[in-house]
Amino acid sequence: MKPALGTPGGPARWRRAREGARVALHGDNFADGAWSFLFKEGDTNYATAEAAGAGAPGGLDVVQGPMMKAAVWTWEVPLYFWFGGMAAGSSFVALACDVAGDRRAARLSRAVALGAVLPCPVLLIMDLGRPLRFLNMLRIFKPRSPMSMGAWCLVAFSAAGTAAVGADLLGRDRAARRLGAANAVLGSYLGSYAGVLLAVTAVPVWARSHLLLGPIFVATGVVTGAAACRLALVATGREPADPARRALGRVETAAIAAELILSQVNEARLGPLASALETGPAGRWMSAARWFARGGLALRLGRGTAGSRAHNLASSAFMAAALCFRYGWVRAGRASAADDEAVAQTARASAH
Amino acid sequence: MTEVAVQQAGASRMGFFTDTTTCIGCKACEVACKQWNDLPADGGELRKGGSYDHTGSLGASTWRHVRFVEVEAAPVPHDPEEVDLLAVASGGATLERWVFMSDVCKHCTNAGCLDACPTGALVRTEFETIIVQPDVCNGCGYCIPACPFGVIDRAPDDGRAAKCTLCYDRLEDGLEPACAKACPTDSIQFGEHEELLDRAHRRVATLHERGVPNAYLYGASEDMAGGLGAFFLLTEPPERFGLPARADSPIQQNVVPATLAAVGAGLAAAVGVAASFRVRGENTPAPLAAVAVAAVATDWAARARRRRRR
Repeated sequence: MKPALGTPGGPARWRRAREGARVALHGDNFADGAWSFLFKEGDTNYATAEAAGAGAPGGLDVVQGPMMKAAVWTWEVPLYFWFGGMAAGSSFVALACDVAGDRRAARLSRAVALGAVLPCPVLLIMDLGRPLRFLNMLRIFKPRSPMSMGAWCLVAFSAAGTAAVGADLLGRDRAARRLGAANAVLGSYLGSYAGVLLAVTAVPVWARSHLLLGPIFVATGVVTGAAACRLALVATGREPADPARRALGRVETAAIAAELILSQVNEARLGPLASALETGPAGRWMSAARWFARGGLALRLGRGTAGSRAHNLASSAFMAAALCFRYGWVRAGRASAADDEAVAQTARASAH
Repeated sequence: MTEVAVQQAGASRMGFFTDTTTCIGCKACEVACKQWNDLPADGGELRKGGSYDHTGSLGASTWRHVRFVEVEAAPVPHDPEEVDLLAVASGGATLERWVFMSDVCKHCTNAGCLDACPTGALVRTEFETIIVQPDVCNGCGYCIPACPFGVIDRAPDDGRAAKCTLCYDRLEDGLEPACAKACPTDSIQFGEHEELLDRAHRRVATLHERGVPNAYLYGASEDMAGGLGAFFLLTEPPERFGLPARADSPIQQNVVPATLAAVGAGLAAAVGVAASFRVRGENTPAPLAAVAVAAVATDWAARARRRRRR
C-alpha cells in the first residue's frame, strides 16, 4: 500500500501551520454557503416526498434513527442565558438612565448589571465536561463560532462592568458613563448571542428559528433587566411616581409584549416543528412562561397607577416568565433533535 | 478566513469509501477501531439498535458503527377463511433485504463541529480530516448539536468530545486506518480522496450494469457539506441509514443572518429603552396596554388552535 506520507514503516514529518496559513477547500467555500438552506421564504411546511430527491432515490418513507445528537447541556446553561440577558438588559437601562439624566438610577443599574453577570462564568464553567480547562475558551478568537465570541463578549462585559462600578465608587462620573455606554453596546451581543448560539446548530426547531431566535432572546433579556432594575429602585426607596421607575414598568410591558408577538410569528413560521415547543417538558416550561407573563400583565394593567405591591409582583412574574422561556427553548432542542422524522424532513426540505 | 489546521507539503486528502453492497455486517471494523483507539465497550445490551445491532449509534466510544437495515416485504393480506398459522406466528412480514452499513465520521469539507469549536480543539489535519485534540478540548459540548450527522459526542465519564480521527496516528506512519485494514470484504476502502471518488463512480456504473439501478453515492458531490471525506455507496434512501438527505455546516449556513438579526435587535432594544424614558406621565399608556392585551389574546388563540389540530 502506498502510504499517504513518507516511506512505509517510517515516521512522517509534520509541523503546525503558520499563522494565517490557508487550508485548501475550506476558506474559499465559506462565502458559498447557501444562506437560505434551512429556511426559504414561504416554505414553512416540509417538502413533500415527491418534491424531494436530493440525489437519492425514492421518497421519505422510513426513517431509521437516530439521525442526530441533542445538546448535552444541563440546567446551568438556560440559567446562564437568563442571567446574561438580565445583565444585558440592565446595561441598556443604565445607558437610558444616563441619557435621561438620572445619575443615581444609572449607578444602580450598572451595579445590577455587574451583579447579574457575576454568576455567568460560574454557571458556564460548571457545565463544561472538563471545568478546569475553562481558560481554553480564551485560547483562540473565532468570529465564526458564537460560543467563542460569547465567551469573549462575557469577559469584555464583565471587565467593563467592573470598571464602571469601580468608577462609580471612586466618583468618576464621566468614566463610569462611558464604560456604561460601552457595556450597552457589548450587551447588545451578550443579550442576543445565546439565540444565535442555538440557531446555528443542526437542531431543526432552533435552526428554523434562526432569524427570530436572537430578537426573542433580546426581548427576554430586556424584560429581566428592566424588572431587576425596577425592583432594585423600589428596594432603594424610590417613590411610585418616580419617572425612572415608571419608565422601567413601561419597558417591561413593552418587552414582554414583543416577546409574545415574536414567539407567535416564529411559531407560525415553524409550522409542524412548533410542536417541539408545545409538547413534553419544553411545552410545560413554555406554558408556565405564558402564565407568568399573562399574570404579570394582568397585575400591571389591572392596577393602573395604584398598588405598588401589585407592580412589584408583576415585575417578579415577568422575571419568572423569562426564566421559563429560557428553559423551554433549551429543552425544546432536545425534543427536536430526538424527533428523527423532523430532522430527516428538515434536511429534505432544504434540498432545492 | 483562516482556521486552525495542520499542514504538510505533499499530503493529500485521504478518506473512506464505504460500499454497503459488499458489507456483511461482521463488525470487524468496530472491533478493530475499539482495539486500536483503546475505546471502552458499549455495554452488553443486546439488540440496542434493533436487529442484531447492540451498539445503537456512533458516539464518543464508538467511532465505527455497523447499522443493520432490515427491509421488510409488505405482509400479504390473508384470507380470513384460510389462516396461515405460520405467517401469523412469524408476525406476517418477511425479510426482503438485509442491508448493512458501516457508519463513520464523514470528515466534511464544511465541518459543523470544526466551525463550532470555541477552543480550537477540533482541527483539520494535513490529510484534510477533522480530529479532536484531547489535550485541548474542555467539553463545552457545542460541537454535538452542530454536527448534522450526529457523529461527535461527549463521553459522560471523560467529559471531552471524541470521534473518529481517521486513525491520524496510523496515517502519519503510513498505515491505513484500523477499520479499513480489518474489513474482510473491502466494503471499507481507504485511500486518496480523488482516487476513491474515481473508484466509487466506477463501482456505481458496474452495479447499474449488473442490475442494481438504485445504487448511488452519498456525500461524493460538493453539495453535501462541501463534499464528505468519508462517503458511501447506498442502495436505499439515506434516511434508512439515519443519514440526512442534505447537510451542510449549520454555522456556515446561518451565522451571518442570525447574528445580524440578533445584534440589530439588541441595538434597537437599547435605543427603545432609552426612548421609553422620554415618555412622561402615567404608568402604562393606553396604546401600549392595547398592544400587550392584543399580544396575549392572539398568542392564546394561536396556541389553542394548534392544540386542537394536534
